[in-house]
Amino acid sequence: MNVSIVPTLRVLRPAATVALVGLIGIIAGFYANATLFTDTSPEQPIAFSHKIHAGDNEVPCLYCHVQARRSISAGVPSVNKCMGCHLEVATDRPQIRLLANYWDTKEPIPWIKVHDLPDFVHFTHKRHVQAGIECQTCHGPVETMAVVSREAPLKMGLCLNCHKDNAVENGTDCWTCHK
Amino acid sequence: MANVDRREFLKLVGAGSVGVGAGYLLAESIKHPVEHLIPYSVPPEEFSPGIATWYNSVCGMCPAGCGISVRTREGRAKKIEGNPAHPVNQGRLCALGQAGLQTLYNPDRITAPMLLQGKRGNDAFVETTWKEGLANVSGRLGVPGVATVVLSQGVRGQLANLLELFTAELGSAELLHYDFAHPHTLYAANERLFGQQQLPYYDIANTRYLMSFGADFLNNWLSPVHHSLGFGHSRQGGDAQRLRFVQIEPKMSISGAAADEWVAARPGSEGVLALGIAHQILAGGRYSGSDADDWTAALADYSPELVAEQSGVAAATIVRLADEFAQAKPALAIGGGSAANNSNGTDTLVAVTALNYLVGNIGQAGGLIFNPDPVTGPSASSRRANYEVMRDLAEAAQQGVVDVLIVNNTNPLFTLPTAAGFKEALASIPLIVSLSSFMDETTAMADVILPSHTYLESWGDDVPQPGVGFSVAAVSQPVVAPLYNTRSTGDILLGLASNLGFRDAIPWTTMEECIKDGWREIHARGEPGSGDFDSFWHDVLQSGVWGEDVRQQQDATVSKEVIDNIGVAAPEFAGDVGDYPFVLHPFMSTSMYDGRGANLPWMQELPDPITSVVYGSWLEMNPATADKMGLQDGDLVQVASMQGSVEVPVVIFPAIMPDVVAMPIGQGHESLGRYARNRGANPIQILAPVTDPVSGALATGATRVSVVATGRRAPAVKTGGESRQLGRDIVRFTSTTSDATEHSAKLNSIPISVEPA
Repeated sequence: MNVSIVPTLRVLRPAATVALVGLIGIIAGFYANATLFTDTSPEQPIAFSHKIHAGDNEVPCLYCHVQARRSISAGVPSVNKCMGCHLEVATDRPQIRLLANYWDTKEPIPWIKVHDLPDFVHFTHKRHVQAGIECQTCHGPVETMAVVSREAPLKMGLCLNCHKDNAVENGTDCWTCHK
Repeated sequence: MANVDRREFLKLVGAGSVGVGAGYLLAESIKHPVEHLIPYSVPPEEFSPGIATWYNSVCGMCPAGCGISVRTREGRAKKIEGNPAHPVNQGRLCALGQAGLQTLYNPDRITAPMLLQGKRGNDAFVETTWKEGLANVSGRLGVPGVATVVLSQGVRGQLANLLELFTAELGSAELLHYDFAHPHTLYAANERLFGQQQLPYYDIANTRYLMSFGADFLNNWLSPVHHSLGFGHSRQGGDAQRLRFVQIEPKMSISGAAADEWVAARPGSEGVLALGIAHQILAGGRYSGSDADDWTAALADYSPELVAEQSGVAAATIVRLADEFAQAKPALAIGGGSAANNSNGTDTLVAVTALNYLVGNIGQAGGLIFNPDPVTGPSASSRRANYEVMRDLAEAAQQGVVDVLIVNNTNPLFTLPTAAGFKEALASIPLIVSLSSFMDETTAMADVILPSHTYLESWGDDVPQPGVGFSVAAVSQPVVAPLYNTRSTGDILLGLASNLGFRDAIPWTTMEECIKDGWREIHARGEPGSGDFDSFWHDVLQSGVWGEDVRQQQDATVSKEVIDNIGVAAPEFAGDVGDYPFVLHPFMSTSMYDGRGANLPWMQELPDPITSVVYGSWLEMNPATADKMGLQDGDLVQVASMQGSVEVPVVIFPAIMPDVVAMPIGQGHESLGRYARNRGANPIQILAPVTDPVSGALATGATRVSVVATGRRAPAVKTGGESRQLGRDIVRFTSTTSDATEHSAKLNSIPISVEPA
C-alpha cells in the first residue's frame, strides 16, 4: 500500500510551526536563565572581597578557612575571627560596620554557598589540601575576585580528569566519591 | 511564511513567549536550591565543622547503667556506642541503647510545659510557660499539710539525693521509686542470706560452670551487656576451659538457646530443684564447712527422688547436675526471671544463692562477689516500691488521702495489672503532675505536664547496680543542646524547690552544680594533693567514668536461723486448673524492656530473636498442646485470666512446657505516641495480684489462663520462614544412633504445604 504523508503535513503545518517556535522559545528561555540569571556569583549579605584579603593583602586561604586541611568541610570563619582584625582594621567602612553589627547582636552571617556539591557526592577538603592541590584548581583565582563566582563547572568530569591525570589510587572507582 | 496573517502572527508570538517562560522555569527548577553557610559568632572550643566530637555519658534506656560514647557533628547526636572505659559494658551496647537516638529525635516528644483543659484523659492540653507551669504546681504543694507522693522511675546518684531532699522538705510527702523490672526478690534473698544491701557481682567471665535458674542474663536480667561480655569470655576467651552452661526455665529464652543443656522444671519448682541439688552436694560429702551438719539437717527432705516428683526433672538429672556443679571449680548459680516471679520467689532465690555458698565461691573469681555501697546517692534498695507498696498507694489514693502525685518518667498505668486499681486511684487524686518526656498512659492522665529532657540532654550521674565488684560511678552530660522547651528532671525539681523557698536545704540553682557538688565527695576520696577538683572533674567528663579498686569485705556467713528455715513452699497460682489450664509466662523482650521501647521504630522492627516475630504480640504454645486444641500457627485466640483477657495470635514454639503459654511484654500501648499505640496486647494487664509475701514483689508468673480459639486468623509477622527443612535437604546431618537418623528422616519428610490465602 502506498500512502502519501503530504496531505497530513499540509494539515499539520500551522500547528508544527507553532510547536517549533514554542520549542525554540523553551531553549532560549532555558539558555537565558542558565547564562544571564546564573547563580554562580550570588549577592552576599556583606560585600566581602576576596581580592582585598587574599589578593592585595596576601592573607593565606587557610588562615581563615582553617578547617580545610583537617576536615571534610573548609569551614567559613566564625564572626569573632573576622573581628579579630576588624576591631582595628578599616572600622569606618560601611561593610565593616555591617560586620560589627552582626558581632554586636551575636547574629551569624547568612553567607550564601557559591561552591556546592550535591549530597550524593562525598568530597573531602582534607585529602585534597593534604595532597597539595591548590585551592584555585577547583575554586578559580579567588584572590582576584571582588565578588566570588563559580568558575569551574564542579561536574563529575572535572573530578575524573584530575584523578586520571594525577593517577589517583582508586581515583575512578565509583565508591571513592559516591558512598 | 510570506502570508502570515495577524491571527497566525499572534499565535506564534504566544507560543514563543510561553516557550521562553517554560524554558526559564525549567532551568530554574533544576538549579541547586540556595544553601547558606552559617558560621558561629564564637565557635565552641575545639569545634570544627565536619569533624565529629564524641561525648562520654551514661545510657538511660534501662537501669543497667552502661557507659556510652555519643558521636556528634555540628551539635547533632549521630550515633551512640558503648564507652570502652566503662567497666560495665566495656565499649559494647545493646539494641535498646543504640536506639536512644530515637528517644531524642522522637516526633512524639512533649515539647513544652502543658496544662490540662477540661476533662482528664481526653488529650486536651494547652501549652504554657515554665514559669506558669512551675507556679501552678508549687502553689498547690505550698499549702500546709498537702499529702504528696513523688513517684519516680528508679534513679540513683545525685538525682536520687535531690529527690530525697525535696520530699523531706515538702513535709507530708512520700518518695517512691517504681520500676516494673526491679529485682525485689533478688535483693531480699541476698539480704536474708548474707545481710547484703547491694546486689552482688556475678563473675560470669571467670566461671567454668554456670547454672541459671530462669535468669535471662543475656537478654534483660540486671546487666545484660556485661553478662554477654562475660559469657563470651568464659565460652571462647582463649586458653581457659570452655564454660558449661545449664539453663532451667519453662520457656526457652535467648539465654536458654545458648545453653549446653536446657532443663524445663515446673513453674515455681526451681527453688525446690536448687535445694535438691544442694541436698545432693551435701550427701556426696562435698561441702566441709563447719555448718555442714545444719545444712544436712535442713535439707533432709529434699532428696532427688522427692524433688523429681515436685519439679518434673528426673532424679538422675538432679544427681548429675549436682555432681557437675560441685566438681567444676569455680561454679556459679544465678537465679531470676521466671524462677523469681512466683509466690515463692525470695525463697527460691535464697535456695539458688545458697548453692554458691555450698561450693565456696563467695568472694572468689568466677563466683559471687559482694559489691561496696554506692559512692554517691542513697543506698540502692532504699524506697524501691514493690507491688504491695503500689497497691497500698492505689488504695490510699482511692480513699482520697493523696492530694498531689508527681510522676517522674515511670508508667505504672501500663506496668501494673488492672487488678491494682491504679486507674481508679488516679481518678481520685486532685492533682497529677508528670515530668515525662512522652505522652505515656500515666502522663495522659496528668493535669500538669512539666516535660523533662531525654538523658542525652541532661546532667546526671550514676552508680551502676549491680556493680562490678568495686566502686564505680559515671557522669552523664548533655551531648546536644535541648531540642525543645524541656528541662531536666533535676532542674524541674530545683525550680519547684526555689518557688517553695527550700533554699537552705537545696542550695543549687542548676543540676550541673548539684552533680558537681556530689562529685566533690568522690574527689575527696582520692589521695590528698592528687590535683584540684576542676582538673578531676575535667578528667571525669572526658572519660565518662570513675572507679576505685577497693574490694568489699568478702566474708560470708549464713546464720543458723537462716539455714534452719531454708525451704521453698509450693507456688500459688491464681485460677482453677480446670477453668484456667495454662500457666501464663509473660517475658520481657529484648527490644521493648518493660514497654518503654515500644515507641522506637528500630525496636518495633527488631524481630524477637527466638521466634523471629516482628511487631505485635503473640502467644507461644507447645506444638503438642496446639495439636490437642486444634490450633494452628496464626490462629487468633483469647487468653483469659480471672482478671481479664487479651486477643493474640498463636505462635507454635517447641521449647515451651505443654502446660505453659508465654507472651512478650511491651506492646499493647494505648498511648506513648504513633509507633507504640494500638499495636499488640499487654499481658501485664491480665495478671492476678499474687505476690511474693517476703519481698512484696508481684508474682508475674503466678497467673493461670484459659486459651480459647476465636475462629479468626491473624498470623504474626515473622522474618524467619520455617524452622524445619521440609524435604529441602538444606542441612544434612548424620548420627551413629539409629534414633537420630530416624528423627532426621522424619523431619525431612514433612512436605511443604502452602496455606491457601
